[in-house]
Amino acid sequence: MIEEILIYGMVQGSLLALLALGFSLVYGVGGILNLAHGAFYLITAYMIYWILPYFIFIDNYLLRFGITAAISLGLAVVIGAVTYLGLMEPLKESHIGVVLVTFALAFFFEQFVKFVGDPKTHFIIPFVPGTATFLGVTFPAQLVALVVGSLILVTFVTLFINKSTIGKSIQAVSQDFEAAQLVGINTNMILMTTVMISALLVGFAAVLYAPGNFIAPRIGWRYLLLAFSVTIFGGMGSIQGSIAGAFVMGYATSLTDFLISPTFSVIIPIVVILVMLLVRPQGLLGKKELY
Amino acid sequence: MMGLQVDMQPLIGRFKIWARTFRGSITLFSLAGLLLIPITGNQYLTTVLVTAMIYSIFAASWDFLAGFAGQISFGHAAFFGISAYFTAAFVEFARVHWTLSLFIGAGYAVIFSLLIGIPCLRLKGPYLALGTLAFALILWNLFLTGTWLGGTEGISGLPSLGNIFLVFYIVAVFMIASLIIMRAIVDSRLGTILKAIRDDETCADASGINTTTYKLIAFMISGFFAGIAGGLFALHLTAVNPAVFQTLYSFYAIIMAAIGGMVTIYGSVIGAFLFTVLSEFLRPLAAASLLIFATILILIVRFWEEGVMNPVLEGVQDAWDIIRRR
Repeated sequence: MIEEILIYGMVQGSLLALLALGFSLVYGVGGILNLAHGAFYLITAYMIYWILPYFIFIDNYLLRFGITAAISLGLAVVIGAVTYLGLMEPLKESHIGVVLVTFALAFFFEQFVKFVGDPKTHFIIPFVPGTATFLGVTFPAQLVALVVGSLILVTFVTLFINKSTIGKSIQAVSQDFEAAQLVGINTNMILMTTVMISALLVGFAAVLYAPGNFIAPRIGWRYLLLAFSVTIFGGMGSIQGSIAGAFVMGYATSLTDFLISPTFSVIIPIVVILVMLLVRPQGLLGKKELY
Repeated sequence: MMGLQVDMQPLIGRFKIWARTFRGSITLFSLAGLLLIPITGNQYLTTVLVTAMIYSIFAASWDFLAGFAGQISFGHAAFFGISAYFTAAFVEFARVHWTLSLFIGAGYAVIFSLLIGIPCLRLKGPYLALGTLAFALILWNLFLTGTWLGGTEGISGLPSLGNIFLVFYIVAVFMIASLIIMRAIVDSRLGTILKAIRDDETCADASGINTTTYKLIAFMISGFFAGIAGGLFALHLTAVNPAVFQTLYSFYAIIMAAIGGMVTIYGSVIGAFLFTVLSEFLRPLAAASLLIFATILILIVRFWEEGVMNPVLEGVQDAWDIIRRR
């Protein structure tokens, strides 16, 4: 029992970290609340599902999946950039405008998937076949890829933001928008890069987690909700907070899954949001005041 | 009795003046036209219009909260659905008369608006929007996975209110009453306070307004009318299932208010009627229709912030003024 809780908590935590990191980053840097975040997951998962049959001539499934995933991730990043330039940038002045337009966009993607594909649920074959056994617990080997991939990506993004020039510009913009502009940082470029990183991270979440799971047009909202609750828990705009929050929530979910019931774990996000808002509205490691 | 008559006199006077203005006459004219429609005996058209009227209460309740109190909610489906469920449950399981059940359902919506409002009002602006969205999503999941109140199947087979023409007039009465009450609240002292909070919360706070209390009141009023709409929806369809909680209905409220123009209340009515009639026209396109509406909403938010109908109405008003001057 305890091993299962530990392993599935780790899996959940890795997924949540991928989902929440980008969401929190975009908010922290630009003050943009992206309601289409879950829709990026949805559209990447569906692109994989749609593009996969075109490479049927490649016999090796892993290679075929790799090519498909690369194309889908590229498209997801492009969608992120286009979304920023076309919808978020012109409405940046009004928070409500951004929220409304990204809500509409999320809805647009949901309907788009329904229209181009169909409203049924689909299944993507996992690219790591078989099962793995660890600490006496047997689980799909795909989850190993999720945990490893998530760890690598989260480390990479954290390093990127702390060490690289662009990353330092991102930090500068998040600390003081106008001062960053004054020292000659192209804030628009930086915000666009942030949205693209966010789309890439959530796209990777889809690449690693969607195979072996069911996808349907409405799943986008669920992932948005998860990303939002982790971000509220960890503190809006705090990267460390989001990662810590993701693993705390991951273990909380797997605890309720195994000790109470999976039905009950549906309300974990809302319980977390409620308790956190009442006790510590700025989140676990959040420094910024909610405004 | 005397007191009532004394109070009525200025109201009637105001009504007469209002009826002669452009807004008043066009409203009364449209209303008369609307109420005459069942006489044509067209059952299909009547059903469509009943839906439109229910949606216009719903959209107006969203507009009240978003436009006048400045609290954007993406979880209006929660109030709508809660009330629909409880109205249906009281009619079906407790055999309570539908009028009473409707108000009980709306009462539950008010309780839920408090439950949602108290924690979420710690969040401002965009976070409030996400918080309310989260609540609606959770309720949707709970009703989908749970086994209470009919589980996934929902509650069906409610007794019908009567034939569709009777339903039309019942819903029409509720719509007119709701809209007049909401408009009256907006024009009252309470409305002024809400507008003050919307425009500058810090300033309102400094002027001695208890902003949290007033925002909660706005939430409750909005929840109540969304609840009335939800209850009527359940009674009209004589069934309810977890789908009433889906984001789709929150989206409906927003797009209707956006089409008609926000911060108006009456705009929601225009929006609701346009939206419902347009959806009926787009019905042959099935899946594409919602895609088209999502695109329309994106375009409206991006390019025409004051809504589509407001500029049109202003144009008509200018034309009217020119005609009257002659």
